[in-house]
Amino acid sequence: MHMHNHRHPFECVIPEHMLEKIATNGTDAQKQKAMENISVGYQLRAERAMRASLKELFASTVPRAVAGGKERVVYDVRHGTSLPGTVVRREGEAPSSDPAVNEAYDGSGVTYDLFKDVYGRNSINNNAMRLDSSVHYRTGYDNAFWDGKQMVYGDGDENLPMDERLFNRFTIAIDIIGHELTHGVTQFEAKLVYSQQPGALNESMSDVFGSLVKQYQLRQTAAEADWIIGGGLLTENVNGIGIRTMKAPGTAYDDPVLGKDPQPAHMRDYVNTISDNGGVHINSGIPNHAFYLTAMELGGYAWEKAGQIWYVTLRDKLGENSNFQQCADLTYQTAGDLFGSGSLEQQAVKNGWAGVGLTVGGGETTEPGGCLEATLRFIGAAPAK
Amino acid sequence: MDVERIKFERVGGFANMRLAADLDMHELSEEQADTLKELLDELDFAELPAKLTSDKSMPDEFTYTITVEAEKWQHTVITSDAPDDEKMQELLELLNRLARKQLRKH
Repeated sequence: MHMHNHRHPFECVIPEHMLEKIATNGTDAQKQKAMENISVGYQLRAERAMRASLKELFASTVPRAVAGGKERVVYDVRHGTSLPGTVVRREGEAPSSDPAVNEAYDGSGVTYDLFKDVYGRNSINNNAMRLDSSVHYRTGYDNAFWDGKQMVYGDGDENLPMDERLFNRFTIAIDIIGHELTHGVTQFEAKLVYSQQPGALNESMSDVFGSLVKQYQLRQTAAEADWIIGGGLLTENVNGIGIRTMKAPGTAYDDPVLGKDPQPAHMRDYVNTISDNGGVHINSGIPNHAFYLTAMELGGYAWEKAGQIWYVTLRDKLGENSNFQQCADLTYQTAGDLFGSGSLEQQAVKNGWAGVGLTVGGGETTEPGGCLEATLRFIGAAPAK
Repeated sequence: MDVERIKFERVGGFANMRLAADLDMHELSEEQADTLKELLDELDFAELPAKLTSDKSMPDEFTYTITVEAEKWQHTVITSDAPDDEKMQELLELLNRLARKQLRKH
């Protein structure tokens, strides 16, 4: 698959000195364009400053841990709809008699630990955001979601007779908790829009770090992990092992009532649909499997190398409209930055994406050199593509 | 409200389980049909905007599409998971339950 996503030089951070040199030494046309670019650069800096102050303003509206470290609060909505509900457990308090409360507390704790201890991230926003979870949301609510500020969990289909229930409570699987919290990390970092391929990447990042939270809790290597998302969530009435599997997308369940797991594991099976925001929970199977293949090739604990590569890519490289090809190129680039060009780690990333039908570098280059090339092209110093 | 039929679809959510139902009001129990009609009346369903969702989807939230067919009119509303309206939440919960019942029958 070839992506023709021409880079505009203004999207790149063009060093001021380079522009000034062009403005001094270039041809008349080059000088004029460089001057325009410098002037736009000032505008961009003003915009960035404004965005930074908005970010600060937003950060101040989210609840912050008092001591600046790990702080969890679990609320009980008591089957109502008003969030967040009544506080039932705060940081450091003894376990509750309610398993959903303890699962939300423990699961958000392990998620915090993974991001802090392994990736050096101080909570969801990297600024000590308090981790709020609400359990027992509504009645018969077979879902969990991140509302932009907190996690919300339903109890499944507890309002149906036992023999008709498909779902258990949504806190039952720690990877679901990690999944929801990672939506928060994505919200503060790459801000991947929740539609089509960027949306599927958003979902995949949540599955990747959700699974890593579980592996980190259990201290499992890539080979020991089950790579199932939502293990234990389905009741015994359903023929399935979970909601998704990163190891073998499309095989998590096959059931007369629930239907069949629709996830593809390869680009040739990519599902074009308008449903589910353009198949964000469906096509996420492709990048999920690429991560699995990468982690398996690297061996050991998946959160250490493969997880690090994916995390840095999410934090520093992906943008709100990034697609699968760009994610493949950028994880490859990150692996080179972290472990060296041509390293085994970089090769594993390349092989991981090849396993799902994506060739690293198969689209237009996204390496830093691309910015220089785009700038030169813009001012007429390099041939147009 | 002279409602004949309600078509309901729920997509998205963490598990992405599509739930759909085509409900003929005459085939429902009298109690269920009355409750539905009452809720639709209280919501003034025919006058609701076609879209109650924001343009920006929240991760893992459900999206519901409800089409109400009456003898002389038809109206479709798309809504997200967290409408402020309690009556809408009641309607969604009831339609969810009825859709789950249909799911098992098929």
